[in-house]
Amino acid sequence: MGLLNTTPMKTSEEITEIEIDIIENILSHVMDPEIEIDIVNLGLIYELNYDGKTTVDVEMTLSTPACPLSDAIVASVKESIKQKYTDFVVNVKLVFEPRWHAEMITEAGKEMLGM
Amino acid sequence: MNGLQTANAPSSKIVVPHFIAGGVSFLIVAILLALSTTELLSVYFDNKLIAITHIAILGWASMMVFGALYQLIPVVYETSLFSEKLGVITFWLFAVSVLALSYSFWIASFTNLLIYASLLMFFSLLVFIINLHLTYRKTKKPNIQSKFINTGIYWLAATELLGTLVALNFKYNFLSDIHLHYLKIHAHLGLVGWFLLLIIGAASILIPMFMISHRLNEKKLNYAYYFINIGLLALSLDWLFLQSSIGVYIYWMIIGVGILFFLSYVYDAYTGRLRRKLDVGLKYTVIAVVVLIVPLITALYLLIVGDTTPFVNRLGTFYGFSIIFGIISMLIFGQTYKTLPFIIWLDRYQNYVGKYKTPLPRELYSEKLADYQYYGYLAAIVLMSIGIVFNQRIILQTGSIILIIVAVLNLINILMMVLHKTKIEELPKHK
Repeated sequence: MGLLNTTPMKTSEEITEIEIDIIENILSHVMDPEIEIDIVNLGLIYELNYDGKTTVDVEMTLSTPACPLSDAIVASVKESIKQKYTDFVVNVKLVFEPRWHAEMITEAGKEMLGM
Repeated sequence: MNGLQTANAPSSKIVVPHFIAGGVSFLIVAILLALSTTELLSVYFDNKLIAITHIAILGWASMMVFGALYQLIPVVYETSLFSEKLGVITFWLFAVSVLALSYSFWIASFTNLLIYASLLMFFSLLVFIINLHLTYRKTKKPNIQSKFINTGIYWLAATELLGTLVALNFKYNFLSDIHLHYLKIHAHLGLVGWFLLLIIGAASILIPMFMISHRLNEKKLNYAYYFINIGLLALSLDWLFLQSSIGVYIYWMIIGVGILFFLSYVYDAYTGRLRRKLDVGLKYTVIAVVVLIVPLITALYLLIVGDTTPFVNRLGTFYGFSIIFGIISMLIFGQTYKTLPFIIWLDRYQNYVGKYKTPLPRELYSEKLADYQYYGYLAAIVLMSIGIVFNQRIILQTGSIILIIVAVLNLINILMMVLHKTKIEELPKHK
Protein backbone atom coordinates (compact mmCIF):
# COMPACT_ATOMS: atom_id res chain seq x y z
CA MET A 1 0.00 0.00 0.00
CA GLY A 2 1.14 3.46 -0.81
CA LEU A 3 3.93 2.35 -3.02
CA LEU A 4 2.04 3.42 -6.10
CA ASN A 5 0.64 6.94 -6.28
CA THR A 6 -2.58 6.67 -8.28
CA THR A 7 -3.01 10.49 -8.63
CA PRO A 8 -1.69 11.42 -12.08
CA MET A 9 1.07 14.08 -12.24
CA LYS A 10 -0.28 17.53 -13.17
CA THR A 11 0.94 19.00 -16.44
CA SER A 12 2.61 22.41 -16.43
CA GLU A 13 -0.51 23.85 -18.15
CA GLU A 14 -2.69 22.52 -15.37
CA ILE A 15 -0.37 23.96 -12.73
CA THR A 16 -0.46 27.33 -14.51
CA GLU A 17 -4.27 27.24 -14.55
CA ILE A 18 -4.40 26.45 -10.85
CA GLU A 19 -2.05 29.34 -10.10
CA ILE A 20 -4.19 31.67 -12.22
CA ASP A 21 -7.27 30.60 -10.22
CA ILE A 22 -5.39 31.35 -7.00
CA ILE A 23 -4.28 34.76 -8.30
CA GLU A 24 -7.84 35.55 -9.39
CA ASN A 25 -9.02 34.63 -5.92
CA ILE A 26 -6.39 36.99 -4.46
CA LEU A 27 -7.60 39.79 -6.76
CA SER A 28 -11.18 39.19 -5.66
CA HIS A 29 -10.06 40.58 -2.29
CA VAL A 30 -8.76 43.86 -3.79
CA MET A 31 -11.39 46.50 -3.23
CA ASP A 32 -12.14 49.68 -5.11
CA PRO A 33 -12.02 51.89 -1.96
CA GLU A 34 -14.73 54.24 -3.26
CA ILE A 35 -17.25 51.82 -4.72
CA GLU A 36 -16.42 49.25 -2.02
CA ILE A 37 -16.72 46.28 -4.35
CA ASP A 38 -13.82 44.05 -5.37
CA ILE A 39 -12.20 44.63 -8.75
CA VAL A 40 -13.02 41.13 -10.07
CA ASN A 41 -16.77 41.45 -9.47
CA LEU A 42 -16.67 44.99 -10.87
CA GLY A 43 -15.27 43.49 -14.09
CA LEU A 44 -12.16 45.66 -14.02
CA ILE A 45 -9.78 42.78 -14.85
CA TYR A 46 -9.58 42.35 -18.62
CA GLU A 47 -6.75 39.82 -18.81
CA LEU A 48 -4.71 37.77 -16.40
CA ASN A 49 -1.66 35.87 -17.62
CA TYR A 50 0.92 33.79 -15.79
CA ASP A 51 4.00 32.56 -17.67
CA GLY A 52 4.33 29.45 -15.51
CA LYS A 53 7.51 30.79 -13.91
CA THR A 54 7.61 34.09 -11.99
CA THR A 55 5.83 36.68 -14.12
CA VAL A 56 2.18 37.72 -13.85
CA ASP A 57 0.66 40.18 -16.32
CA VAL A 58 -2.58 41.91 -15.41
CA GLU A 59 -4.47 44.03 -17.91
CA MET A 60 -7.16 46.01 -16.19
CA THR A 61 -9.25 49.15 -16.33
CA LEU A 62 -10.88 51.54 -13.86
CA SER A 63 -14.51 52.59 -13.52
CA THR A 64 -13.43 56.04 -14.74
CA PRO A 65 -10.16 57.20 -16.34
CA ALA A 66 -10.18 60.17 -13.92
CA CYS A 67 -10.09 57.90 -10.86
CA PRO A 68 -7.85 59.63 -8.28
CA LEU A 69 -7.28 56.28 -6.56
CA SER A 70 -5.77 54.60 -9.63
CA ASP A 71 -2.27 54.28 -8.21
CA ALA A 72 -3.59 52.90 -4.92
CA ILE A 73 -5.65 50.26 -6.76
CA VAL A 74 -2.70 49.29 -8.98
CA ALA A 75 -0.39 49.08 -5.96
CA SER A 76 -2.98 46.96 -4.18
CA VAL A 77 -3.11 44.52 -7.12
CA LYS A 78 0.68 44.16 -7.19
CA GLU A 79 1.19 43.89 -3.45
CA SER A 80 -1.67 41.42 -2.91
CA ILE A 81 -0.14 38.99 -5.40
CA LYS A 82 3.35 39.52 -3.96
CA GLN A 83 2.08 38.71 -0.48
CA LYS A 84 1.75 35.08 -1.58
CA TYR A 85 4.32 34.97 -4.38
CA THR A 86 7.14 37.05 -2.93
CA ASP A 87 9.59 36.47 -5.80
CA PHE A 88 7.06 37.16 -8.60
CA VAL A 89 7.21 40.10 -10.97
CA VAL A 90 3.73 41.57 -11.34
CA ASN A 91 3.09 43.84 -14.32
CA VAL A 92 -0.12 45.83 -14.30
CA LYS A 93 -1.24 47.58 -17.46
CA LEU A 94 -4.11 50.08 -17.21
CA VAL A 95 -6.21 50.30 -20.36
CA PHE A 96 -9.30 52.35 -21.18
CA GLU A 97 -10.18 50.59 -24.44
CA PRO A 98 -12.67 49.01 -24.38
CA ARG A 99 -14.24 51.42 -21.95
CA TRP A 100 -15.59 49.75 -18.84
CA HIS A 101 -19.40 49.52 -18.74
CA ALA A 102 -22.20 48.03 -16.67
CA GLU A 103 -22.40 44.74 -18.57
CA MET A 104 -18.91 43.89 -17.33
CA ILE A 105 -20.07 43.70 -13.70
CA THR A 106 -20.74 40.16 -12.46
CA GLU A 107 -24.15 39.18 -11.12
CA ALA A 108 -22.76 39.29 -7.57
CA GLY A 109 -21.33 42.76 -8.24
CA LYS A 110 -24.68 44.00 -9.56
CA GLU A 111 -26.35 42.76 -6.40
CA MET A 112 -23.78 44.64 -4.29
CA LEU A 113 -24.44 47.85 -6.26
CA GLY A 114 -28.20 47.46 -5.77
CA MET A 115 -28.78 47.18 -9.55
CA MET B 1 -4.24 59.20 -17.71
CA ASN B 2 -2.87 55.79 -16.82
CA GLY B 3 -2.56 56.18 -13.12
CA LEU B 4 -0.60 59.38 -13.12
CA GLN B 5 -3.05 61.18 -10.90
CA THR B 6 -1.63 60.07 -7.59
CA ALA B 7 1.88 60.98 -8.71
CA ASN B 8 0.58 64.46 -9.59
CA ALA B 9 -1.38 64.81 -6.35
CA PRO B 10 -0.15 67.54 -4.01
CA SER B 11 1.10 66.92 -0.51
CA SER B 12 -1.73 66.69 2.02
CA LYS B 13 0.09 69.44 3.97
CA ILE B 14 -1.09 72.02 1.43
CA VAL B 15 -4.64 70.63 1.15
CA VAL B 16 -5.65 69.79 4.72
CA PRO B 17 -5.22 73.26 6.38
CA HIS B 18 -7.85 74.61 3.96
CA PHE B 19 -10.43 72.13 5.24
CA ILE B 20 -9.71 73.00 8.88
CA ALA B 21 -9.83 76.77 8.23
CA GLY B 22 -13.02 76.29 6.19
CA GLY B 23 -14.72 74.28 8.94
CA VAL B 24 -13.80 76.90 11.58
CA SER B 25 -15.06 79.72 9.30
CA PHE B 26 -18.40 77.97 8.84
CA LEU B 27 -18.82 77.78 12.61
CA ILE B 28 -18.02 81.52 12.87
CA VAL B 29 -20.56 82.24 10.10
CA ALA B 30 -23.25 80.21 11.91
CA ILE B 31 -22.61 82.03 15.22
CA LEU B 32 -22.58 85.47 13.57
CA LEU B 33 -25.81 84.68 11.67
CA ALA B 34 -27.50 83.72 14.96
CA LEU B 35 -26.36 87.08 16.39
CA SER B 36 -27.59 89.03 13.35
CA THR B 37 -31.21 87.99 12.90
CA THR B 38 -32.33 91.65 13.03
CA GLU B 39 -29.99 92.52 10.15
CA LEU B 40 -31.13 89.44 8.18
CA LEU B 41 -34.66 90.81 8.28
CA SER B 42 -33.70 94.32 7.15
CA VAL B 43 -31.58 94.94 4.00
CA TYR B 44 -28.95 92.72 2.39
CA PHE B 45 -26.33 95.50 2.18
CA ASP B 46 -26.07 95.98 5.96
CA ASN B 47 -22.37 96.11 6.92
CA LYS B 48 -22.67 93.14 9.31
CA LEU B 49 -24.33 91.02 6.62
CA ILE B 50 -21.58 92.01 4.21
CA ALA B 51 -19.01 90.90 6.82
CA ILE B 52 -20.78 87.54 7.28
CA THR B 53 -21.12 87.12 3.50
CA HIS B 54 -17.37 87.61 3.05
CA ILE B 55 -16.51 85.09 5.80
CA ALA B 56 -18.99 82.66 4.20
CA ILE B 57 -17.84 83.16 0.62
CA LEU B 58 -14.11 83.55 1.27
CA GLY B 59 -13.31 82.00 4.66
CA TRP B 60 -15.67 79.03 4.27
CA ALA B 61 -16.57 78.37 0.64
CA SER B 62 -13.45 79.59 -1.20
CA MET B 63 -11.16 78.12 1.45
CA MET B 64 -12.75 74.66 1.03
CA VAL B 65 -12.79 75.06 -2.75
CA PHE B 66 -9.09 76.00 -2.86
CA GLY B 67 -8.21 72.90 -0.83
CA ALA B 68 -10.39 70.64 -2.98
CA LEU B 69 -9.09 72.26 -6.18
CA TYR B 70 -5.46 71.55 -5.31
CA GLN B 71 -6.49 67.89 -5.06
CA LEU B 72 -8.84 67.90 -8.05
CA ILE B 73 -6.62 69.80 -10.48
CA PRO B 74 -4.26 66.86 -11.13
CA VAL B 75 -7.30 64.73 -12.01
CA VAL B 76 -9.01 67.29 -14.27
CA TYR B 77 -5.92 68.95 -15.79
CA GLU B 78 -3.83 65.73 -15.83
CA THR B 79 -0.83 67.60 -14.51
CA SER B 80 0.60 68.56 -11.13
CA LEU B 81 0.04 71.95 -9.53
CA PHE B 82 2.46 74.59 -10.90
CA SER B 83 3.79 75.45 -7.43
CA GLU B 84 2.90 74.04 -4.02
CA LYS B 85 4.91 76.83 -2.36
CA LEU B 86 2.64 79.43 -3.97
CA GLY B 87 -0.29 77.40 -2.63
CA VAL B 88 1.06 77.67 0.92
CA ILE B 89 1.73 81.42 0.50
CA THR B 90 -1.84 81.88 -0.82
CA PHE B 91 -3.27 80.03 2.18
CA TRP B 92 -1.66 82.27 4.81
CA LEU B 93 -2.15 85.56 2.93
CA PHE B 94 -5.74 84.60 2.20
CA ALA B 95 -6.53 83.57 5.80
CA VAL B 96 -5.18 86.88 7.18
CA SER B 97 -7.00 88.91 4.50
CA VAL B 98 -10.34 87.18 5.21
CA LEU B 99 -10.03 88.07 8.90
CA ALA B 100 -9.00 91.67 8.19
CA LEU B 101 -11.59 92.21 5.46
CA SER B 102 -14.50 90.78 7.46
CA TYR B 103 -13.48 92.66 10.60
CA SER B 104 -13.30 95.94 8.68
CA PHE B 105 -16.85 95.35 7.37
CA TRP B 106 -18.10 94.32 10.81
CA ILE B 107 -16.82 97.53 12.46
CA ALA B 108 -17.70 99.57 9.32
CA SER B 109 -14.11 100.83 8.90
CA PHE B 110 -14.63 101.65 5.23
CA THR B 111 -11.95 104.28 4.83
CA ASN B 112 -9.07 102.77 6.81
CA LEU B 113 -8.70 99.04 7.50
CA LEU B 114 -10.85 98.00 4.50
CA ILE B 115 -8.37 99.58 2.06
CA TYR B 116 -5.39 97.57 3.39
CA ALA B 117 -7.44 94.40 3.87
CA SER B 118 -8.80 94.46 0.33
CA LEU B 119 -5.35 95.14 -1.15
CA LEU B 120 -3.97 92.17 0.78
CA MET B 121 -6.91 90.05 -0.43
CA PHE B 122 -6.26 91.20 -3.99
CA PHE B 123 -2.62 90.16 -3.71
CA SER B 124 -3.40 86.76 -2.17
CA LEU B 125 -5.98 85.93 -4.85
CA LEU B 126 -3.59 87.12 -7.55
CA VAL B 127 -1.02 84.57 -6.34
CA PHE B 128 -3.72 81.86 -6.45
CA ILE B 129 -4.92 82.87 -9.92
CA ILE B 130 -1.38 82.96 -11.34
CA ASN B 131 -0.61 79.55 -9.81
CA LEU B 132 -3.73 77.97 -11.31
CA HIS B 133 -3.37 79.70 -14.65
CA LEU B 134 0.21 78.43 -15.00
CA THR B 135 -1.03 74.95 -14.06
CA TYR B 136 -3.69 75.17 -16.78
CA ARG B 137 -1.00 76.11 -19.29
CA LYS B 138 0.79 72.83 -18.51
CA THR B 139 -2.32 70.87 -19.50
CA LYS B 140 -1.76 68.89 -22.65
CA LYS B 141 -5.41 68.17 -23.43
CA PRO B 142 -7.79 70.83 -22.06
CA ASN B 143 -11.29 69.38 -21.67
CA ILE B 144 -14.62 71.08 -21.02
CA GLN B 145 -14.27 70.58 -17.26
CA SER B 146 -10.84 72.27 -17.14
CA LYS B 147 -12.23 75.09 -19.31
CA PHE B 148 -15.02 75.68 -16.79
CA ILE B 149 -12.59 75.79 -13.87
CA ASN B 150 -10.03 77.97 -15.63
CA THR B 151 -12.66 80.46 -16.85
CA GLY B 152 -14.08 80.53 -13.30
CA ILE B 153 -10.65 81.62 -12.12
CA TYR B 154 -10.63 84.54 -14.59
CA TRP B 155 -14.05 85.59 -13.27
CA LEU B 156 -12.58 85.42 -9.76
CA ALA B 157 -9.89 87.88 -10.93
CA ALA B 158 -12.60 90.22 -12.30
CA THR B 159 -14.61 89.90 -9.07
CA GLU B 160 -11.60 90.71 -6.96
CA LEU B 161 -10.53 93.62 -9.15
CA LEU B 162 -13.95 95.23 -8.90
CA GLY B 163 -14.16 94.53 -5.15
CA THR B 164 -10.79 96.22 -4.58
CA LEU B 165 -11.79 99.23 -6.72
CA VAL B 166 -15.00 99.63 -4.70
CA ALA B 167 -13.00 99.41 -1.45
CA LEU B 168 -10.53 102.06 -2.68
CA ASN B 169 -13.44 104.20 -3.82
CA PHE B 170 -14.69 104.51 -0.24
CA LYS B 171 -11.63 106.65 0.42
CA TYR B 172 -10.71 108.17 -2.96
CA ASN B 173 -14.18 108.41 -4.52
CA PHE B 174 -13.32 108.02 -8.22
CA LEU B 175 -16.18 105.74 -9.44
CA SER B 176 -19.14 107.36 -11.18
CA ASP B 177 -22.00 105.36 -9.63
CA ILE B 178 -23.15 104.53 -6.10
CA HIS B 179 -21.44 101.66 -4.26
CA LEU B 180 -24.54 99.52 -4.24
CA HIS B 181 -24.49 99.41 -8.04
CA TYR B 182 -20.93 98.02 -8.11
CA LEU B 183 -21.69 95.73 -5.17
CA LYS B 184 -24.40 94.09 -7.29
CA ILE B 185 -21.97 93.48 -10.18
CA HIS B 186 -19.19 92.34 -7.80
CA ALA B 187 -21.57 89.82 -6.18
CA HIS B 188 -22.75 88.38 -9.50
CA LEU B 189 -19.27 88.11 -10.96
CA GLY B 190 -18.32 86.14 -7.85
CA LEU B 191 -21.40 83.97 -7.49
CA VAL B 192 -22.10 83.19 -11.14
CA GLY B 193 -18.67 83.67 -12.71
CA TRP B 194 -16.46 82.15 -10.04
CA PHE B 195 -18.63 79.74 -8.07
CA LEU B 196 -21.13 78.58 -10.66
CA LEU B 197 -18.49 77.85 -13.31
CA LEU B 198 -16.28 76.15 -10.76
CA ILE B 199 -19.18 74.10 -9.43
CA ILE B 200 -20.16 72.96 -12.92
CA GLY B 201 -16.55 72.14 -13.84
CA ALA B 202 -15.95 70.09 -10.69
CA ALA B 203 -19.43 68.56 -10.48
CA SER B 204 -19.43 67.38 -14.09
CA ILE B 205 -16.34 65.29 -13.27
CA LEU B 206 -17.31 64.18 -9.77
CA ILE B 207 -21.04 63.44 -10.17
CA PRO B 208 -20.66 60.86 -12.99
CA MET B 209 -17.59 59.45 -11.23
CA PHE B 210 -19.34 58.89 -7.90
CA MET B 211 -22.70 57.85 -9.36
CA ILE B 212 -20.92 55.65 -11.92
CA SER B 213 -22.67 57.09 -14.96
CA HIS B 214 -21.26 56.67 -18.45
CA ARG B 215 -21.86 57.79 -22.00
CA LEU B 216 -23.07 61.25 -21.06
CA ASN B 217 -23.58 63.93 -23.66
CA GLU B 218 -20.73 66.42 -23.14
CA LYS B 219 -22.21 68.73 -25.77
CA LYS B 220 -24.67 69.83 -23.07
CA LEU B 221 -21.72 71.00 -20.98
CA ASN B 222 -20.30 72.89 -23.96
CA TYR B 223 -23.64 74.66 -24.48
CA ALA B 224 -23.82 75.42 -20.74
CA TYR B 225 -20.30 76.90 -20.89
CA TYR B 226 -21.04 79.30 -23.75
CA PHE B 227 -24.54 80.31 -22.61
CA ILE B 228 -23.46 81.11 -19.04
CA ASN B 229 -20.29 82.97 -20.02
CA ILE B 230 -21.91 85.00 -22.80
CA GLY B 231 -24.90 85.80 -20.57
CA LEU B 232 -22.72 86.89 -17.66
CA LEU B 233 -20.36 88.93 -19.83
CA ALA B 234 -23.29 90.75 -21.44
CA LEU B 235 -24.98 91.24 -18.06
CA SER B 236 -21.87 92.74 -16.42
CA LEU B 237 -21.04 95.00 -19.38
CA ASP B 238 -24.63 96.18 -19.53
CA TRP B 239 -24.70 96.90 -15.79
CA LEU B 240 -21.36 98.70 -16.00
CA PHE B 241 -21.92 100.84 -19.09
CA LEU B 242 -25.50 100.75 -20.42
CA GLN B 243 -27.87 99.92 -17.59
CA SER B 244 -30.58 99.00 -20.08
CA SER B 245 -33.86 97.78 -18.65
CA ILE B 246 -34.79 95.08 -21.15
CA GLY B 247 -31.28 93.66 -21.78
CA VAL B 248 -30.96 92.35 -18.24
CA TYR B 249 -33.94 89.99 -18.75
CA ILE B 250 -32.39 88.62 -21.93
CA TYR B 251 -28.97 88.06 -20.30
CA TRP B 252 -30.60 86.31 -17.34
CA MET B 253 -32.50 84.08 -19.75
CA ILE B 254 -29.24 83.21 -21.54
CA ILE B 255 -27.59 82.33 -18.20
CA GLY B 256 -30.72 80.37 -17.25
CA VAL B 257 -30.60 78.33 -20.47
CA GLY B 258 -26.95 77.50 -19.71
CA ILE B 259 -27.90 76.33 -16.21
CA LEU B 260 -30.70 74.19 -17.68
CA PHE B 261 -28.21 72.48 -20.00
CA PHE B 262 -26.08 71.63 -16.96
CA LEU B 263 -29.14 70.41 -15.04
CA SER B 264 -30.05 68.21 -17.98
CA TYR B 265 -26.50 66.74 -17.96
CA VAL B 266 -26.80 65.96 -14.24
CA TYR B 267 -30.27 64.49 -14.79
CA ASP B 268 -28.80 62.12 -17.41
CA ALA B 269 -26.06 61.13 -14.94
CA TYR B 270 -28.63 60.61 -12.20
CA THR B 271 -31.07 58.50 -14.22
CA GLY B 272 -28.33 56.48 -15.93
CA ARG B 273 -26.33 55.80 -12.78
CA LEU B 274 -25.17 52.30 -11.89
CA ARG B 275 -24.90 53.06 -8.20
CA ARG B 276 -28.49 53.10 -7.09
CA LYS B 277 -28.03 53.94 -3.41
CA LEU B 278 -26.88 57.52 -2.83
CA ASP B 279 -24.58 58.13 0.13
CA VAL B 280 -24.73 61.31 2.19
CA GLY B 281 -22.22 63.14 -0.03
CA LEU B 282 -24.28 62.47 -3.15
CA LYS B 283 -27.58 63.39 -1.44
CA TYR B 284 -26.20 66.88 -0.68
CA THR B 285 -25.01 67.16 -4.27
CA VAL B 286 -28.35 66.21 -5.83
CA ILE B 287 -30.25 68.71 -3.64
CA ALA B 288 -27.76 71.49 -4.42
CA VAL B 289 -28.19 70.96 -8.15
CA VAL B 290 -32.00 71.03 -7.88
CA VAL B 291 -31.85 74.21 -5.73
CA LEU B 292 -30.06 75.98 -8.64
CA ILE B 293 -33.56 76.78 -9.93
CA VAL B 294 -34.53 78.72 -6.75
CA PRO B 295 -32.26 81.82 -7.13
CA LEU B 296 -32.97 81.82 -10.85
CA ILE B 297 -36.71 82.20 -10.24
CA THR B 298 -36.15 84.63 -7.34
CA ALA B 299 -33.91 86.84 -9.52
CA LEU B 300 -36.51 86.89 -12.26
CA TYR B 301 -39.22 87.85 -9.77
CA LEU B 302 -37.02 90.62 -8.31
CA LEU B 303 -36.34 91.97 -11.78
CA ILE B 304 -40.02 92.01 -12.69
CA VAL B 305 -41.19 93.58 -9.38
CA GLY B 306 -38.36 96.10 -9.27
CA ASP B 307 -39.55 98.12 -6.25
CA THR B 308 -38.09 98.21 -2.72
CA THR B 309 -40.76 97.13 -0.25
CA PRO B 310 -39.58 95.37 2.95
CA PHE B 311 -40.73 92.05 1.41
CA VAL B 312 -38.63 92.64 -1.73
CA ASN B 313 -35.64 93.56 0.46
CA ARG B 314 -36.00 90.31 2.38
CA LEU B 315 -36.36 88.46 -0.90
CA GLY B 316 -33.04 90.05 -1.95
CA THR B 317 -31.46 88.62 1.23
CA PHE B 318 -33.10 85.24 0.54
CA TYR B 319 -31.69 85.32 -3.02
CA GLY B 320 -28.12 85.55 -1.68
CA PHE B 321 -28.90 83.10 1.15
CA SER B 322 -30.24 80.49 -1.29
CA ILE B 323 -27.09 80.69 -3.43
CA ILE B 324 -24.62 80.60 -0.52
CA PHE B 325 -26.38 78.06 1.71
CA GLY B 326 -28.73 76.24 -0.68
CA ILE B 327 -26.22 75.63 -3.46
CA ILE B 328 -22.60 76.46 -2.65
CA SER B 329 -22.48 75.23 0.97
CA MET B 330 -24.69 72.24 0.16
CA LEU B 331 -22.27 71.16 -2.57
CA ILE B 332 -19.25 71.79 -0.37
CA PHE B 333 -20.69 69.65 2.44
CA GLY B 334 -21.39 66.89 -0.06
CA GLN B 335 -18.02 67.04 -1.73
CA THR B 336 -16.18 67.25 1.61
CA TYR B 337 -17.44 63.73 2.32
CA LYS B 338 -16.43 62.63 -1.16
CA THR B 339 -12.93 64.13 -1.13
CA LEU B 340 -11.42 64.66 2.33
CA PRO B 341 -11.68 60.99 3.43
CA PHE B 342 -9.85 59.96 0.25
CA ILE B 343 -7.18 62.64 0.64
CA ILE B 344 -6.47 61.48 4.20
CA TRP B 345 -6.80 57.80 3.26
CA LEU B 346 -4.26 58.16 0.42
CA ASP B 347 -1.91 60.05 2.72
CA ARG B 348 -2.07 57.46 5.52
CA TYR B 349 -2.51 54.19 3.62
CA GLN B 350 -0.97 54.63 0.17
CA ASN B 351 2.09 52.60 1.19
CA TYR B 352 0.11 49.89 2.97
CA VAL B 353 -2.49 48.93 0.35
CA GLY B 354 -2.30 45.26 -0.58
CA LYS B 355 0.25 44.56 2.17
CA TYR B 356 -2.01 45.12 5.19
CA LYS B 357 -5.70 45.31 5.94
CA THR B 358 -6.60 49.01 5.88
CA PRO B 359 -9.85 50.78 6.81
CA LEU B 360 -12.10 52.12 4.05
CA PRO B 361 -12.09 55.90 3.39
CA ARG B 362 -15.64 56.25 4.76
CA GLU B 363 -14.53 54.66 8.03
CA LEU B 364 -12.33 57.70 8.71
CA TYR B 365 -15.32 59.78 9.87
CA SER B 366 -18.53 59.14 11.78
CA GLU B 367 -21.33 58.32 9.34
CA LYS B 368 -23.86 58.84 12.13
CA LEU B 369 -22.64 62.43 12.72
CA ALA B 370 -22.66 63.02 8.95
CA ASP B 371 -26.33 61.91 8.84
CA TYR B 372 -27.31 64.17 11.75
CA GLN B 373 -25.43 66.99 10.05
CA TYR B 374 -27.29 66.37 6.77
CA TYR B 375 -30.80 66.40 8.26
CA GLY B 376 -29.89 69.27 10.61
CA TYR B 377 -28.60 71.31 7.70
CA LEU B 378 -31.75 70.76 5.64
CA ALA B 379 -33.90 71.77 8.63
CA ALA B 380 -31.72 74.85 9.33
CA ILE B 381 -31.83 76.28 5.82
CA VAL B 382 -35.55 75.59 5.33
CA LEU B 383 -36.39 77.29 8.67
CA MET B 384 -34.05 80.21 7.98
CA SER B 385 -35.48 80.70 4.48
CA ILE B 386 -39.05 80.75 5.86
CA GLY B 387 -37.91 83.14 8.61
CA ILE B 388 -36.27 85.53 6.14
CA VAL B 389 -38.99 85.54 3.46
CA PHE B 390 -41.98 85.73 5.84
CA ASN B 391 -40.33 87.93 8.46
CA GLN B 392 -40.58 85.28 11.21
CA ARG B 393 -37.83 86.02 13.69
CA ILE B 394 -38.42 83.04 16.02
CA ILE B 395 -38.28 80.59 13.10
CA LEU B 396 -35.14 82.32 11.81
CA GLN B 397 -33.50 82.09 15.24
CA THR B 398 -34.43 78.42 15.61
CA GLY B 399 -32.90 77.70 12.20
CA SER B 400 -29.73 79.61 13.01
CA ILE B 401 -29.25 77.70 16.29
CA ILE B 402 -29.60 74.40 14.40
CA LEU B 403 -27.03 75.78 11.93
CA ILE B 404 -24.54 76.26 14.79
CA ILE B 405 -25.04 72.61 15.83
CA VAL B 406 -24.51 71.56 12.18
CA ALA B 407 -21.30 73.61 12.03
CA VAL B 408 -19.99 71.91 15.18
CA LEU B 409 -20.82 68.43 13.80
CA ASN B 410 -19.10 69.34 10.54
CA LEU B 411 -15.98 70.50 12.36
CA ILE B 412 -15.91 67.36 14.54
CA ASN B 413 -16.00 65.14 11.46
CA ILE B 414 -13.34 67.21 9.67
CA LEU B 415 -11.06 67.01 12.71
CA MET B 416 -11.78 63.28 13.08
CA MET B 417 -10.49 62.75 9.53
CA VAL B 418 -7.56 65.15 9.76
CA LEU B 419 -6.36 63.71 13.08
CA HIS B 420 -6.88 60.09 11.97
CA LYS B 421 -4.03 57.81 13.08
CA THR B 422 -2.94 55.03 10.75
CA LYS B 423 -4.47 51.66 11.75
CA ILE B 424 -3.32 48.57 9.92
CA GLU B 425 -3.86 44.86 10.51
CA GLU B 426 -2.17 41.77 9.08
CA LEU B 427 -3.91 40.40 6.00
CA PRO B 428 -5.37 36.88 6.19
CA LYS B 429 -2.97 34.49 4.43
CA HIS B 430 -4.03 33.13 1.01
CA LYS B 431 -3.61 29.36 0.72
